[in-house]
Amino acid sequence: MLKLAGIICIFAGCAGWGVSKIGEEQYRVRQLRELIRIMKRIQNEISYGKHTLPEICFIMSEYSDAPYSLCFAKIYEQADLRNGVCLTQIWQQQMTQCMRDIPLIQEEKSILIDLPRNLGGSEETHQAECIGQSLDLLVRRCRLAEDSYAGKAKMIFSISLLAGVFMMILLL
Amino acid sequence: MRSEEVLYMFPEYMRRRWMKAARQADRLQEIRLRVNMPSTVLIDNREWFVDTEGNLMDMPPYGADNKPEELESVLKHLCQYSIYAFADEIRQGFLTIQGGHRIGLSGQVILEGDNRIRNLKYIRYLNIRMAHEIKGVSEHVLPYIYGKNGEVLNTLLISPPGCGKTTMLRDIIRNISNGTIYGSGVNVSVVDERSEIAGSYLGIAQNDVGIRTDVLDGCPKREGMMMLIRAMAPQVLAVDELGSEEDIQALRMASGCGCKLVATVHGETLKEIENKNYMRNIIENRLFDRYLVLTKRNGCCETEGIYDKEGIRCSN
Repeated sequence: MLKLAGIICIFAGCAGWGVSKIGEEQYRVRQLRELIRIMKRIQNEISYGKHTLPEICFIMSEYSDAPYSLCFAKIYEQADLRNGVCLTQIWQQQMTQCMRDIPLIQEEKSILIDLPRNLGGSEETHQAECIGQSLDLLVRRCRLAEDSYAGKAKMIFSISLLAGVFMMILLL
Repeated sequence: MRSEEVLYMFPEYMRRRWMKAARQADRLQEIRLRVNMPSTVLIDNREWFVDTEGNLMDMPPYGADNKPEELESVLKHLCQYSIYAFADEIRQGFLTIQGGHRIGLSGQVILEGDNRIRNLKYIRYLNIRMAHEIKGVSEHVLPYIYGKNGEVLNTLLISPPGCGKTTMLRDIIRNISNGTIYGSGVNVSVVDERSEIAGSYLGIAQNDVGIRTDVLDGCPKREGMMMLIRAMAPQVLAVDELGSEEDIQALRMASGCGCKLVATVHGETLKEIENKNYMRNIIENRLFDRYLVLTKRNGCCETEGIYDKEGIRCSN
């Protein structure tokens, strides 16, 4: 009876690990989609609204989901202090902190983190096109993640089940 | 003006250098930054050089030249790291920042095929003109710009550059809008093509232009006047610096719609204005009831005279 309970626990543990890993993959795809949405909105605010970066932060704090909304609000607040600190620095600091636990690779994160560095365009169309290039990269990454998600999920779940069986045999 | 407003214009690492100039904020008229040259400030019409420690000096200081990257960082800071958002203004050679201060820009021009200015690059010369709102500056002219029944008369301000024409116009607008002992307050619409009158920042007027004033910021005068007449139904329409036949046509149309006009134009005398091709016709047709001529005597700006529609002086 005790052995059966142990087997069930091991099996459930391994399956749970698999499910959580699948969840992480799903979360990654969701985060990539959110990043694309944010970048598109920023691109539109630049090309149609001709908003400045602090204004964009204010708008984004209202129209993006957590944790980004809070991050944008903080950047806007700090920029509004007008203490002369470089906005690029504020942005990078806050964004790095905000994206620390988000399961994206550094290259993907840096698209948003380093955005102000790419805001040297002299016209809004030129600027929006520059953002469009980063956006294309993100869209490609997202499509790749979506395409591989089903296969990855199956593989992770199979591995987790196999790990459960293996541990079960080992214990018996 | 508060000294912080001067410091706000500079990035953090440059602020220490501008502390002393900022303390003179009330008298500070202009800050000029030129590449490979020392910075200068104009205080009470007197030019001073600024050294690396921020001391104001009579002679150009050694080793206090502005580096290109310093000018770029000031410009970036003034544009809130979003130069694209100010492209239209930069194209015209200036930008207006919070507080209504105006930054004149010069560098290398990028031309379009038809020789029109597309943009400016390598901006290496900045002229920061501090906005000083002087309330009450128009008190002495108010009796002349109201008619017998308290109605506002069509008024044209004539002044050479730097004589306080915009300051006078702003105060007249504020008074007309709020109401005075000569007439009750009326709805005023302002076409502020270069953001000089209201000094709007993010759509909010930084200068007091009165409680019944609507501001259309950054819009060309011709389009702006027609837009405001259709949209805001103003009783008085105010514009700064008439300078083309198109502006005059729009002015005529506005007058035809029953709007009273308050406008300014560059010039020294009424005679000089009459000789301008685009102005001659409206002066001959007596579109304006009053001409207010400003002048500079011994470095001080003053009202040279107020004339009626016949060109006869009506003030002492």
